[in-house]
Amino acid sequence: MIDNAISLMIAIPLIAAVVAFLNGKAAKYVALIGSLVPLAISLQMFQEFDKTSNAMQFVESYDWVPAIGVKYTVGVDGIGLPLILLSTIVSILVVVYSWGEEKRSNQFFALLLLNEVGVLGVFTALDFFLFYIFWEIVLIPMFFLIGIWGGPRKDYAAIKFFIYTHVASLIMLLSIFALYFSYRTPEGLRTFDMLTLLEATGDSAIFSPMLLNVIFIGLLFGFLVKMPAVPFHTWLPDAHVEAPTAGSVLLAALLLKMGGYGLFRIVMPMLPNVSTHYITLMAIIGVVSIVYGGFLALSQKDLKKMVAYSSVSHMGYVLLGAGALSVLSVQGAMFQQFSHGLITCVLFMSAGTIQHTAGTRIISELGGLADRMPKFAVLMMAGFMASLGLPGMCGFVAELSVLAGSYENLPIYVLITIFGGIAVTAGYHLWAMQKVMFGPILKKYLDLKDPHSYEILSMSILVLLIIYFGVQPATITDIMGVAAEPLVEPFIAVAATGVI
Amino acid sequence: MYQDYAYLIVGLPILAFVLTIFLGWHLPKGGGFITVLATFAGFILSFGIFKEIYPNDEIVHQSMHWFASFNAGILIDPLAIVMLLMVTFVCTMIHTYALGYMEGDPGMARYFAEAGLFTAAMLGLVFSDNLLQLFIFWELVGLCSYLLIGFWYRKPSAASAAKKAFLVTRVGDVMFLAGIILLYTNMVKLNLVLPEGAYLLQFQTIYDSLTLIPPDQLTWIAVLLFGGAVGKSGQFPLHVWLPDAMEGPTTVSAMIHAATMVTAGVYLVARMFPLFYAAPNGLMIVAYVGAFTALFAATMGLVMFDIKRVLAYSTVSQLGYMMAGLGVGAAMGAFSVGVSMFHLIGHSFFKALLFLCAGSVIHAVGTNDMREMGGVLKHMKWTGLTMLAGSLTLAGFPLTTGFFSKDEIIVTAYEHGAMGFGWLPYVFAIVAALLTAIYTFRLWFLTFDGEARSDYHKHESPWIMLGPLVILALFALFMGMPTQENFYHYVGNNFEHYGVDFDELAVIGGHHVEHAAHVHEPFIIKILPIIIGVGGIIIAALFYSRWKRFDPGMVTSEGDPLRKILLKRYYQNEIYTLWFAEKVVYGIALVSNMIDLKIIDGTVNKISAISVGFGGSLRKIQTGVIQNYLTAVVLGLAVLLILIQLASMGVAI
Repeated sequence: MIDNAISLMIAIPLIAAVVAFLNGKAAKYVALIGSLVPLAISLQMFQEFDKTSNAMQFVESYDWVPAIGVKYTVGVDGIGLPLILLSTIVSILVVVYSWGEEKRSNQFFALLLLNEVGVLGVFTALDFFLFYIFWEIVLIPMFFLIGIWGGPRKDYAAIKFFIYTHVASLIMLLSIFALYFSYRTPEGLRTFDMLTLLEATGDSAIFSPMLLNVIFIGLLFGFLVKMPAVPFHTWLPDAHVEAPTAGSVLLAALLLKMGGYGLFRIVMPMLPNVSTHYITLMAIIGVVSIVYGGFLALSQKDLKKMVAYSSVSHMGYVLLGAGALSVLSVQGAMFQQFSHGLITCVLFMSAGTIQHTAGTRIISELGGLADRMPKFAVLMMAGFMASLGLPGMCGFVAELSVLAGSYENLPIYVLITIFGGIAVTAGYHLWAMQKVMFGPILKKYLDLKDPHSYEILSMSILVLLIIYFGVQPATITDIMGVAAEPLVEPFIAVAATGVI
Repeated sequence: MYQDYAYLIVGLPILAFVLTIFLGWHLPKGGGFITVLATFAGFILSFGIFKEIYPNDEIVHQSMHWFASFNAGILIDPLAIVMLLMVTFVCTMIHTYALGYMEGDPGMARYFAEAGLFTAAMLGLVFSDNLLQLFIFWELVGLCSYLLIGFWYRKPSAASAAKKAFLVTRVGDVMFLAGIILLYTNMVKLNLVLPEGAYLLQFQTIYDSLTLIPPDQLTWIAVLLFGGAVGKSGQFPLHVWLPDAMEGPTTVSAMIHAATMVTAGVYLVARMFPLFYAAPNGLMIVAYVGAFTALFAATMGLVMFDIKRVLAYSTVSQLGYMMAGLGVGAAMGAFSVGVSMFHLIGHSFFKALLFLCAGSVIHAVGTNDMREMGGVLKHMKWTGLTMLAGSLTLAGFPLTTGFFSKDEIIVTAYEHGAMGFGWLPYVFAIVAALLTAIYTFRLWFLTFDGEARSDYHKHESPWIMLGPLVILALFALFMGMPTQENFYHYVGNNFEHYGVDFDELAVIGGHHVEHAAHVHEPFIIKILPIIIGVGGIIIAALFYSRWKRFDPGMVTSEGDPLRKILLKRYYQNEIYTLWFAEKVVYGIALVSNMIDLKIIDGTVNKISAISVGFGGSLRKIQTGVIQNYLTAVVLGLAVLLILIQLASMGVAI
């Protein structure tokens, strides 16, 4: 493996972003190459990754601001690697899907690349300071994607998105600072090193329970908003409704995953050291998100808003699985992140394609599109089926893992999810499918036809991936299983001694 | 030798699916012959395997790791092989028939692709070696039924029926899934030390652990799994999707109602029979629901005028028999699996036959409504006679297949009562048998006998459609007698391969163990089914045939409330769709939306308004010009970088 693989993977889209911004004409080609290289690097990393190890791999560490203990440290383990793959895959497919974007295309593709820089940074940073910078970088491209290419209420949505998630970030930042100022290394220095600080939270001489709980809540809040979990989810539908398709895809497929990633990387290692009540809290929020999000989706009239709420519902599984603290459930929660990332792309691309071909996303105004758009109909159907949890596709594997893994510790929550969530989820998907695609074609849509080949291509690749990971989940779940073990180990040990 | 290629039984139809969906457009008849050949190859393979394992009573088991603690595997035991043979054979017949029936439909390629996938999913369900894989194929069967019922998706009623089928069975699937999770968790708790190559949800492991799982948990698991079977096999109260499922082409109805899909639920209960046997009250629920469904559906079959709808209710009713046949296993033990499966196999032949005949009639006549038919036999000899064969066996005419299979269930239901487990299943079953004979021959006479009641097209169907009818008719008439005893023995002993000790399970399940001492049925009980079957046919003849003596109007009239209830199908559609789905569920959704907009988002907006109390000044900044935001962001970043720089130069923080 080439040295500095991770840095290279982050730097290339950044350079490409600048080039694309300056070269208006060639922007999309630059973007294609600029996202192809990180994809290649991430696949190579996946090949060479030691899949049986818990350790951080491909680590790079340089002093950055030694005076305050800021380092540039990046590395990947089983928590980060699947999300890195997801980011590189989705980023290039979004570039392909947006091939026809003409409005300010240099800025558009530059922002897509900048977004990739941000998320890759978040999923690899091992220094809190660096983590926070990348975390904030991600906001910028999304803010502009909504603000410039958005729908009629784009200003409101962009500002709401920015303020809401920014406030959450700031609270998270306060928690990070609290961690930072509480701890000194044995040499008496301050450090932002993530793993060191997280390990230190187990030392009650340094962190009083009170302080630790406050820090924990701050971090948890930051991630819950990002996921987003009920009741902190209301920025999401607004942002999605106004965002352009590419923005929505990135937002749902990658940005939401940052919240889940924070759970696994930061929240769960701290869990053993704080009150176990948080486990219940996470489970409740997870289940409420799943069930309530499902009902919200059912009530929507706008296809894209329905898809947005379905994201809220599906991300609830991540919380539930993380809170259930068994290897299978945590592994399932991680896989749900990955799988939802792929599936939601197809859904938002479908909504986007319908918007720009039929001119509306209002479900009741559509009808019979399958008649004129057969290829597109198949892909959209595949996406919807994956989203409602059809076996043979990756969503099922993830949800099954979460539910089966969670039942032992959280039986009631699992039963509520199964009986309150699954049938409703099937309901809104099928209902929308029927209204939009089936029945006699409406007169005004008679001259529609299948969308551009690049849209079909990117959706097809996603569907193939969804099926591949539904049939062969072990490709990636094995890594997640290895990563999940240390997260739940403390609790199994506690349970064995009969404390819980 | 054949068993090494067992995976091809599913692999070939999947290949056919892929080939037809991509290439079918360029091939004659939509590439339908690929699907036919793949299914027939599956039959040859299954038959080869059967020849290999039957003489020494062996089983085939292959398994590999899938992910986490789950596996993928193939298990071919007596229970599975009879299903494999039946599904591949009947589907070959149906697909062949479809070559003629679907001729000229622009979606022919799509039809054969989906039909191939449907077959593959059903076969995969049957030969699964673990419960999770069974569930996976179970869901794929559901998907294919959704696609095929909605095959003519431009028709709103078809799209609606497809959705209904998927959602109603989904309700059952949800219970099935909950049952699997409950079972899985209970087995994890046992901390089993599994031998190499064994996995938690494999049937062998499940059978072995039954005695270790707490009985109350077993009951819950059994009820939940049965919930899945109720959805898929159209048992009361989730049968509502089945009669609507005929919006698809008739061949699809034949597949759904005979060979694939609906038999899955019965197969599930048969497969998990040891668990149901061990679960206190588990079998009783199966017996009562099954017997009640048999009667309940038969009542509605009596009044329908749509030829396919009558057959649909008949399917629901016959599935009830199969369930009841398993349920009365409380008295009979594993023998009842043989009895029930025999009816399942026999029913597959004659119900496929009946649907295909109905399709042939509809194809020629151009309507589903029996009131516009009459006298069709004159023009469609082959169709009429093969359908007569199917009707005779459905009605339980002596010495036909249906006679052996259904009457055995009725007799075991009698023993169930005689041994003190309750008489209701027997009563339901015997009354339903009478109704079955009546509605079956009402259908046959109305369609084929008498005078033409409208000016329909009069021509016989082509031989590619009649051929399968004749073959199926032969099986429907004559398969039963020679195979019955061997079948009961072969399938009934299925669980001996796994060392299931029914005596031990009976103690947990709370059954009396009285083997050998089978109740001696009185002579009248033995011949009652014959009397009832033949009697029903005669009653139907007296009302509907050329030898008509009575008018149906003498029994019931337009204003008759009972008749109205039956025609309205007990108002279940109204309750489920109009009230539960559209009022309750959608109502909750609307309320949720209100809460979200007004309360949750309202609070967010309020908080932001308060905290940015200087709202006026914010509004001034919020000029909506993107460049301003950009400036702000860049400024912020610059400040941050300067701070870092200062810090690195040693300025204390």
